[in-house]
Amino acid sequence: MTSVFTDAVYPGMLIACGVLFIAGLLSTLIISQHRLLTWIVSAFWVVTFVEAVVIVGAVVGGDIPVVITVGYLLAAIALLFLLGIARLGAPDANLPDPNRPILQPDQIARVDGVAAMLVAVAAAVVAWRVAEIIGSAA
Amino acid sequence: MNPIARISLIVAYAILALAALGRSSYQISTKFADAPLAYSVSAVSAALYLLIAIALWKSATGLALVGSAIELAGVLTVGTLGYIESSWWPDETVWTGYGSAYGWVPLILPMLALWALLRGRH
Repeated sequence: MTSVFTDAVYPGMLIACGVLFIAGLLSTLIISQHRLLTWIVSAFWVVTFVEAVVIVGAVVGGDIPVVITVGYLLAAIALLFLLGIARLGAPDANLPDPNRPILQPDQIARVDGVAAMLVAVAAAVVAWRVAEIIGSAA
Repeated sequence: MNPIARISLIVAYAILALAALGRSSYQISTKFADAPLAYSVSAVSAALYLLIAIALWKSATGLALVGSAIELAGVLTVGTLGYIESSWWPDETVWTGYGSAYGWVPLILPMLALWALLRGRH
C-alpha cells in the first residue's frame, strides 16, 4: 500500500488539488463556472476517499508512524467540509444562527471559489506530508 | 464587513487552526519536555486561530480584532525572538521564522484580517 500511495495516489492527489484550485479560481472570476466547481468538489470527495483508504491500508500493513499519519488523514477529511462552505450563507439555508451572512448567488460562487483554492493548497500540503512520512518509512 | 472576505477569512483561519492544532497536539503528547515553550506557543496559536474563526462567524468583530492583533504581535515577537534568542527555541513553533513553514500565512493573515475588520468598521 505504501508504494501505491507514493506512485499513484500522491501524484493523483496533486493533480486533483491543481484542478480544484483552477476551478476555484474560475468560479471566483466567472460566476457561471460555479456549476463546474460543484462537480469538481464532488470528484474531490471521491479522490480524498481513495486517498484515505490507501492511507489506512498503509498504516495497517506498513511500518509507518501511526499517530502523525492518522492526524494528517483526519486533516484531509476535515478539509472537505470547508468545500462549498457558502451553502451556510444561502438565503434558504435552514440555520438558526442570526449572525450568519446571507449571500447572493454571485457571492456564493466567489466564496466557494476562494474556499476551494485554500482547501486545494492545504490538501496538497497534507498529501505531500503523508508522502514524506510514507517515503521515509519505506 | 464584506461577506466574501468574512467567510474567506473564516476558512483560512479554520485551516490554520486545524494545522496548528494537529501540530501542537502531536508535539505536546509526544515530546513536550523537549521544548515546552515552543510547543506551548503552538498550542496558544491553535487556540487563537480557532477563537478568531468563531468570532468572525459570530460577527464578534471586537473579539476578532483583538485576536488578530494578538496573533500579529505573537508572530512578530516569536519570529524576532527566534533570530535574537535562538537558544530559547529548541524546536519550531507555528510562528517561527514569521510562519515561514506555513508559507508566511501566519504573518499575512492577521494583516489581512485587521485590514478587513477595520475597513468594515468605518
